[in-house]
Amino acid sequence: MSENEKGYEVIFCIINSGFSETVMDAAREAGARGGTVIRARGTAGKEAEEKFGIIIHPDKEVLMILVPKDIKDAVLEAVYKSAGLGTAGQGIAFSMAVNRTVGLQ
Amino acid sequence: MPFWGKIKNELPQIKAEKRVQLPEKTGSQAPFALELLITIVEKSKAEFYMDIIQSFEVNFQFSAPAHGTAKAEILDYLGITDTDKTVIFSVVREDRLDELTYTLETKFRTVRNGKGVSVSVPFTSMIGTSVYTFLCNAESSLNGGE
Repeated sequence: MSENEKGYEVIFCIINSGFSETVMDAAREAGARGGTVIRARGTAGKEAEEKFGIIIHPDKEVLMILVPKDIKDAVLEAVYKSAGLGTAGQGIAFSMAVNRTVGLQ
Repeated sequence: MPFWGKIKNELPQIKAEKRVQLPEKTGSQAPFALELLITIVEKSKAEFYMDIIQSFEVNFQFSAPAHGTAKAEILDYLGITDTDKTVIFSVVREDRLDELTYTLETKFRTVRNGKGVSVSVPFTSMIGTSVYTFLCNAESSLNGGE
């Protein structure tokens, strides 16, 4: 157990189904080691489609990547470039600071 | 009986003994901090770890099927065929986290195929006294729903 002395953050990427490999490749190039993919479903309706011109694919993947704080920005940028809202992946990503980490050694 | 089966059977008694008391007046500040513990483990070990986490006064957990992102070449090289994982989300009282994370770390190291990763993220706000009391595993004299 560590009280996050190294400073880790968990990055959540919500992307269209099938794009987790693309995102993970980009994240790896930015220094991330690995991630975990959860299958999910979006809830945005027709409104978003009409207003923002985004095609809604209900099938989503949530990719969780645990990274040291110092490379968080680089990984987020890589994720955004590879599968951001302007791409087919139509992904959004955010990070959260974690208090404790277990099992990383 | 497996080791974790014993823990599960003792659960109700442990919880009743350890239930904490909420103070009468708390204002808008929560008396106990809560954190979301995210635990990623092998699919076959999900129930084992959920039972362990539950024994630390955790009343609410949910799990989602997931898979790892290791490349096929690496999996072939290591002879691994299965990347199926389960992500367990648990709401844990902050004062129980030290003990819980220590236990998890021990299990991750010692249980066969029990390797995993766990991180905790603090909650910043919550609505509903009864929900909060439930998640804290606390006894409250406050009227619920506020």
